Amino acid sequence: MSYFRATDPFPLESAEHTKLHEFYARLAVGRLATTRCATCRRLAWPPRAFCGECGSDRFDWVDLSGEGKIHAFTIQEVGLPAGFVGPRVFAIVKVDGLRVFSVLVDAEPAKVAIGQTVRLSPLRVADDPNGNARWLPAFRLA
Amino acid sequence: MRKVALIGAGVSKFGVRKASYRDLIWEAGKACFDAAPAVKPKDVEGLVVGSVMPERTAFQSHISSMAAEALGIRPSALSARTEHMCASGTVGIRYAYAFIAAGLADLVMVLGVEKLNQPSGDEAILNMGTGVDREWEASFGLTAPPCFALAAQCHIAEYGTTEEQLAMVGVKNHTHAAKNPNAHFQRGATLEQVLGSRMISSPLRLFMCSPITDGAAAVLIASEERARALTDKPVWIRGTGQALDGFQLTSLHEDYAHWPALARAAQSAYGMAGVRPQDVDVAEVHDCFAIAELIAYEELGFCPKGEAGAFVADGRSDYGGDVVVNPRGGLIGCGHPLGATGVAQAAEVFAQLRGEAGARQVPDASIGLTHNNSGMGEHVVMIYGRERR
Repeated sequence: MSYFRATDPFPLESAEHTKLHEFYARLAVGRLATTRCATCRRLAWPPRAFCGECGSDRFDWVDLSGEGKIHAFTIQEVGLPAGFVGPRVFAIVKVDGLRVFSVLVDAEPAKVAIGQTVRLSPLRVADDPNGNARWLPAFRLA
Repeated sequence: MRKVALIGAGVSKFGVRKASYRDLIWEAGKACFDAAPAVKPKDVEGLVVGSVMPERTAFQSHISSMAAEALGIRPSALSARTEHMCASGTVGIRYAYAFIAAGLADLVMVLGVEKLNQPSGDEAILNMGTGVDREWEASFGLTAPPCFALAAQCHIAEYGTTEEQLAMVGVKNHTHAAKNPNAHFQRGATLEQVLGSRMISSPLRLFMCSPITDGAAAVLIASEERARALTDKPVWIRGTGQALDGFQLTSLHEDYAHWPALARAAQSAYGMAGVRPQDVDVAEVHDCFAIAELIAYEELGFCPKGEAGAFVADGRSDYGGDVVVNPRGGLIGCGHPLGATGVAQAAEVFAQLRGEAGARQVPDASIGLTHNNSGMGEHVVMIYGRERR
């Protein structure tokens, strides 16, 4: 017996569901973007529609470099949630001074090391309930 | 503020239980009332229940009222549920403490309960993803083990902490749990067993991780006047602190070997209690993974930063050392029924400070500490004393 099918593990990315739709629209065409507060100019990661520093809800989209360096990582072998398989490489990637949490796709675990260069590699996941394509910001070894 | 004390505590058997959510509530409630024979359910003015995911595992919300009815409590001053992931139980104790200290209630039960193996452990693993950010973390398959594995990687890189030192936390806590009839595991573990156990998320192996456990725990908390009327041996809440560093991995302190929120929570609690780290006789710390216990030694001030590996290896966190950490077996040995954990920690300190911990008794324990966290960046610390101050 299992309840697994009752959950959708991925975000609703379409324009009618999130103020952050632009992030996913750019990701779908291979661009990594985030928000910059239009009032205090703070660059955020992840993108946000409300600035926790100055309280503004005005923001601009800016593209980030699609390249980063591995800041920390771990390889999970077992115990992943249903729908995810190990070994899975979880990493903190430094991109333009920001820390981005992600996974490394197609990475041979033994070859992953701190300081390595990685490149954005958008990961297509299950379509949303309305049949729209969905992407997550994953990386791969450069 | 008024002085506040624990006057009763009890826990259910922890494990993969053939028991319903309500069965677990009954078991912990019974054990707690048994420890406070002067109190009947109708005397209790309030109930706070720490529970994280009953909506999925018991298909039940409205938890505080359900539990109150199960135990015959008719709240007249306070009824609430606390959900703060793995720290839900201690967050509940803080609510009860504040209500009583402020004079809004005199006698409150705090109960923590979780039925995780329903229908199976895999369901719990799936649900654990709700404790991290769905959009930016859980959507990648993140749950707790990789988070703490990242902390272990940082601690190893920065301070030379070894896999063997991490394993010693597992050995110590499994060994302690063998003396606790309510623990999930009671067979102990050797260093070879821990180091030879399956890799979960590098460098954390199975016996360095807390298991998926069903269980419940309850404490009765009272104002000074009520406490003195109900027991000869109240255990006083001397200090409390809570601090948050961040929720998402990328908003925490950049070096995961440092948990500044734990140091801040501890500072608040120590300051309020008027005690120093070296005054603590017994500590229940949140060893969800072995690395968490090591970093807790440092942030709680039991040893200098970076020296936690040697601290456990030299036996300084065990019987005969500086401070006995996790005498009941910790989360690694007892299991981690999320909402129940913080309350079970308080129950252990209650028994220890009253000299009623049996085979686990820390000699002449007078000051006890509990530390409960919800991720690396969110911490709650409580300090209890045999004397009121």
